[in-house]
Amino acid sequence: MQLSPLANPLATVAQLETSGSQLDGIPADLEDSIRFASARLTQAAGALLRLPQEVIAQAIIVLSRFWVGPEGGSLAEHDADQVSASSLYLATKLSAFPKSARSVVNVYAYLDSLPTTFFEPELLRQHKKAEEYYVSEGTLEKRRMALFNMEQQILRVLGFQLQTSLPYILSITYLQALDVFSHPRASELAKRTVAYLNTALLSPQLLYLTHQPPCLATAAIYLAAKEIGVKLPDVEWWEVFDTDREDLGFVVVGLLSVETFAAEEQKKWLGRRVPLTVGGLEAELGMRRNLSEE
Amino acid sequence: MANSAAMPPRAIPRHFQGCSKITDYDMMQKLGEGTFGEVHKARHRGTGRVFALKKILMHNEKDGFPITALREIKLLKMLSHDNVLVLEEMAVERPKAEGRKRAILYMVTPYMDHDLSGLLDNPDVRFTEPQIKCYMLQLFKGLRYLHDNHILHRDMKAANLLINNRGRLQIADFGLARHYDEPVPQRGRGNGEARRDYTSLVVTRWYRPPELLLQLRRYTPAIDMWGAGCVFGEMFKRKPILAGQSDLHQIQIIFELVGSPNQQNMPGWDQLPGADAVKSTSSPGAGKLSSSFREIHPSGLSLLGDLLKLDWRKRINAIDAIDHPYFQSDPRPMREEDIPSFADSHELDRRNARGQKQALPPAPAGGTVGGGPNGEWTGQGPPPNSGSWANGDRPQYGSQDRGPPGVDRPRGDYDRRGQPYDHRPPPPPPPRHGPSWGNGGDRGGLPPPPGEGRHPLPHPPRYGPQGGDRGHRGGPPGDKYVPSYRGADAERPPRDRDDRRSRDPDDRPREGRRNSQDSGHSRDSHRDDRNDRRGYRDRDRERPADSRNFGRERRDGRTRSRSPDRRDQRNRDRDRDRDIYTRR
Repeated sequence: MQLSPLANPLATVAQLETSGSQLDGIPADLEDSIRFASARLTQAAGALLRLPQEVIAQAIIVLSRFWVGPEGGSLAEHDADQVSASSLYLATKLSAFPKSARSVVNVYAYLDSLPTTFFEPELLRQHKKAEEYYVSEGTLEKRRMALFNMEQQILRVLGFQLQTSLPYILSITYLQALDVFSHPRASELAKRTVAYLNTALLSPQLLYLTHQPPCLATAAIYLAAKEIGVKLPDVEWWEVFDTDREDLGFVVVGLLSVETFAAEEQKKWLGRRVPLTVGGLEAELGMRRNLSEE
Repeated sequence: MANSAAMPPRAIPRHFQGCSKITDYDMMQKLGEGTFGEVHKARHRGTGRVFALKKILMHNEKDGFPITALREIKLLKMLSHDNVLVLEEMAVERPKAEGRKRAILYMVTPYMDHDLSGLLDNPDVRFTEPQIKCYMLQLFKGLRYLHDNHILHRDMKAANLLINNRGRLQIADFGLARHYDEPVPQRGRGNGEARRDYTSLVVTRWYRPPELLLQLRRYTPAIDMWGAGCVFGEMFKRKPILAGQSDLHQIQIIFELVGSPNQQNMPGWDQLPGADAVKSTSSPGAGKLSSSFREIHPSGLSLLGDLLKLDWRKRINAIDAIDHPYFQSDPRPMREEDIPSFADSHELDRRNARGQKQALPPAPAGGTVGGGPNGEWTGQGPPPNSGSWANGDRPQYGSQDRGPPGVDRPRGDYDRRGQPYDHRPPPPPPPRHGPSWGNGGDRGGLPPPPGEGRHPLPHPPRYGPQGGDRGHRGGPPGDKYVPSYRGADAERPPRDRDDRRSRDPDDRPREGRRNSQDSGHSRDSHRDDRNDRRGYRDRDRERPADSRNFGRERRDGRTRSRSPDRRDQRNRDRDRDRDIYTRR
């Protein structure tokens, strides 16, 4: 049985080399920005829908799988926010927390009405006027259809491969195996570990598509322990969790780089929204063209 | 870079892994109707291999891609066992008409020559005891694998067991299956106990175990084992052994067969929600299993008794069933490859061949089909067991009540999901089902009304051109129906056995089988001397077509899958809940 809780289908080298978007002439930096923003959009929408982090993580993994590789979806063809919405809808369908299409449409309409694509928790707590994100019946019908169409598109691009194993529970098991729960700061350590696993979801290096859950869990523990100051065994303990030094190093560097990347993204798009639709993307590209011609 | 980025023409053609085009296949005849669509036989143009294609109907889908299909696909993609049907890939049919945007999707599985229901209905087929043992062993191995991997099938029935002409049995149709959150069965320990609630609205009625009929919600893999017991008995009787006409009747005939419940044979039965209705109607009795199954060897009878045990805690599990003395005693189980081959027998053919039929017991209303994605009750009206609504599959966790702006509340989701997959007009009153095996004597020779037979509902237009008249096929007595596959066969040159075998899906290289677990019961090298099989086939071919009318005398149809008349069932369930099972 392939129902291993430890294994995920990973992206192939060919898939990581290029993407549908790049083939369609989307600059790589813009692709990274949009992927990052749509992963964050998914996270915010999932939080608003009160979904457990596991379901949100699965949606983000589905989303990342969709954009990857020459056969993957292209930003020139599909609206990134729609892909995010449909991924989330798909993920909830397979979970114990199904959400109606109406809920999903509502939440995305709400997020779309915000002035930024960097959704800080503070921002989401503000009460806005309902008129600004009200979805009429007609619009709802249109968006529902779009939600379902994109759902099918995702299924086809993924070859219906929706199996997503997550490292969250695994990391707790690993912490137990490392016998660190007697440490006074153990709970801090566990929280930090989970935070790193969430960070990995947003990585432009697509860590969830390149590394198996045990490796991600190990790297998250490694970093968290360093940061919190919990001493782990002197030996190469990660070997026990099927992770070699090289992979550990790669994921650790990848995880650490997300912070810088995120800060740069925020600076780059200050006061603007990352284009999450094909139309917005075209406008952005047009603007860039004009800038370079001047 | 940016300069070159004038928007490219939209569609660079892309090829999707795991998803092929429907044009890669040549469609052959229709094999049956599944939960969410038709099943067709088709030949792959590239390889010549024959597959079964199950269409996923997206017609009028209010929730997008059907959750049932999604779950079934996800499960099948993870499973790999000789006795579980393999999902080869998905095939996409691009919409031809302009207006339609969404494609039609097919699940591609190996073609299996028969389903057990159709095979048992085939008048030319007699099972020998060694053959039955072989099939049962395979069924138990499949179930052991599923249960060991925390999966409840929840729709165990003969029509969902596929058999090919190499003697291989595979469990199919995972539309109602779900993850089982409890410890898996251990050797010698029965099926364990569940600590949480699941929906009791699963399993087709004739195969539904007593604890489900009494609305136990903390059920276990024992529910699948009961179904296996029903199938076991059915192999001897060649008709379903417990064909109840209503849920109440079902539980009554169960008690008649295996004895009425008491604190010894079914501890705690009177505490189950559905027990009150039964108490008033049933009288104590000892059961008549041994007198009903005189044809079974005593050790087989003991296995049957272990499978049809009222106490779900003590009901035998799949691990122990495989080790049961029945399979060690003479006559020994046949090897798969020694089982003769038969003319293709599919439930749909048999159903078409029969004139008058008793209706199939309605499909379970719950599970992922009529219910929420986790089998919550989502029909109109209160859940069958209102008290435990909060104990459903879905934990009511605290943060859910603080909804963000514009988001409907969790409960609302479910209410809105009321009838997600039902868009048909309200059903007519349930048809009368005669107690006889569909000889239709009480109809005075009238042709059955449209839709009579397996589907009490008028046929929705979704079954395509042939669909409309299907119900009439039986026609008045004397009408001779030639099964469709016979026609199709006649157009092809008689198949050579070796040729046939080389096209058999199961002949593909073993490496292709994603580290499949072997059932350990086949010998792939054993290919010699099959002249006896040729005999079967040829005899069949020479038989005049109208001898198929034989089937008409037989019991009614069951389907390879659940019937679409779910709505009807739900209504009936509701009536039942209202009328019979109300506590007094």
